[in-house]
Amino acid sequence: MVEQPDQAPVVARNPERSLAWEFRHLVPMVAVAVVAVVVWDLIVRWGVWGILFPGPTDVGHALVVFWNSTRLVRAIAATLRRLAVGFLMSLVLGALLAFLMVRFATFGKGIQPYILGLQTFPSIAWVPLALIWFGLSETTLLFVTIIGSVFGVSIAFADALRTVPPLYLRAARNMGSDGMDLILRVTVPAALPHLISAAKVGWSFAWRSLIGAELIFATVGLGFLLESASSVPDIAGVMGVMIVILVIGIVVDQLLFTKTQEWANRRRGLVPHR
Amino acid sequence: MKGAALKLVMLGKRFKGKSGETEALRDVNLQIREGEFVTIVGPSGCGKSTLLSLVAGLEDATTGWVEMDGKRVHGPGADRIVVFQDAALFPWLDVTGNVEFGLRVARVPRRDRKERVARHLATVQLEKFAHARVHELSGGMKQRVALARALVLRPRVLLMDEPFAALDVQIREEMQSVVQDLWQRSGATTLFVTHDVREAAVLGDRIVVLSHRPGMVSQILENHAPRPRTLKDPAVEEVIRRSNEILKAEVQWSNNQTKLLL
Repeated sequence: MVEQPDQAPVVARNPERSLAWEFRHLVPMVAVAVVAVVVWDLIVRWGVWGILFPGPTDVGHALVVFWNSTRLVRAIAATLRRLAVGFLMSLVLGALLAFLMVRFATFGKGIQPYILGLQTFPSIAWVPLALIWFGLSETTLLFVTIIGSVFGVSIAFADALRTVPPLYLRAARNMGSDGMDLILRVTVPAALPHLISAAKVGWSFAWRSLIGAELIFATVGLGFLLESASSVPDIAGVMGVMIVILVIGIVVDQLLFTKTQEWANRRRGLVPHR
Repeated sequence: MKGAALKLVMLGKRFKGKSGETEALRDVNLQIREGEFVTIVGPSGCGKSTLLSLVAGLEDATTGWVEMDGKRVHGPGADRIVVFQDAALFPWLDVTGNVEFGLRVARVPRRDRKERVARHLATVQLEKFAHARVHELSGGMKQRVALARALVLRPRVLLMDEPFAALDVQIREEMQSVVQDLWQRSGATTLFVTHDVREAAVLGDRIVVLSHRPGMVSQILENHAPRPRTLKDPAVEEVIRRSNEILKAEVQWSNNQTKLLL
């Protein structure tokens, strides 16, 4: 006699899901945005700060002007390109550092306090040194992006790797896996949900560092656009660019991290409730 | 693949902990014939699991050594596979992914791999669950996946570390018959650790009773009852009675020791 399960596992998903259904969880998010804009508009109409506090229509208009002159598109493209390169490099370097910290425990213990210290070190404070080393160049911007995030990434990656249950490693070693094979086949997939959180931490560090560095110097980019609008002063333009920076943050977070994390968790039956 | 003969020679293990050294096993000598089914039973904390880890090569012995077909074993190897108490399946893989794990490590070609996985899923009657995820399985099903994952590698030695301890009584008895069946088919030499005397008596050709810490071989009982066995067989009942007597004496002895120390 064989134990029979009560029911077949739910493997197949409802195939007739529409696109709207797929994005239903965005409804509350959009609702909050609409309410925020309405409240904003009402405050402006109240007229407390006068021209120092433009309303949604002015800001929208400023963004349209930026868009039509292609300045906004070029700024977004330049910033996102720097972010992608810088963040990827910081992931690679951070992973390497984390691996060394976990693999060589004494080294890890020795270096951890310094890395934690460097993680809290304001990334903007690297700019003067970077300017001397690399001049007014792309390299300086990338350097600040990387140095501002790599320490946070490596600490978070190391913590993620340490969460792997030893039993998984025993079972895998028992089946003949070791060395690099063990790391790629067991350690990384076992730590994946935590690794994704770690990357998310790193991305927010990288994003803040990059915009900060662009504010100080750059000839193209969102930080530069923000700075130049401020010096006009184009108040609606400043607020417009700030909103663009915010929206990019939200979109990257939702598309890149929240989605992949849900996917990784769902595969293990750890479904976060919404 | 046939089973291997095992020889445990003066095997001992001490752990260094915060509160000094603990001796888990002392001078365990044991010879196991190829294809034999040996159960190891003893009070909790007698080093049963440590014994399996040493044979698996997942831990190093403090004294003594393990021989397989006359050769000393060093480190872990896919010829000695452990089935752990809580299955230790990988939650990021589905059932097929788990069963083929060792074959992938060994770089078995895809076609061969698929065929072997399918065959072993069929022997544990889980072919319908080939693509189920680990969290969708019941405890008994998880252990059947763990058995398939072990046997698909054609191990010469199967090491079972209280694999059914966490299961309901009914499912445990069913799994005991599954194991007897799979053991007879695979021919792997099997070392089965349990704290359940009844389970040890039903499954083992020989039942090794370990003493309280440090674990030493207290007595070895033989069980000649024909398979498949159940708890109702008179020979099994006799083995259970005698094992219980030995264990009772063990517990009493260790209690007396504690009193003497106090």
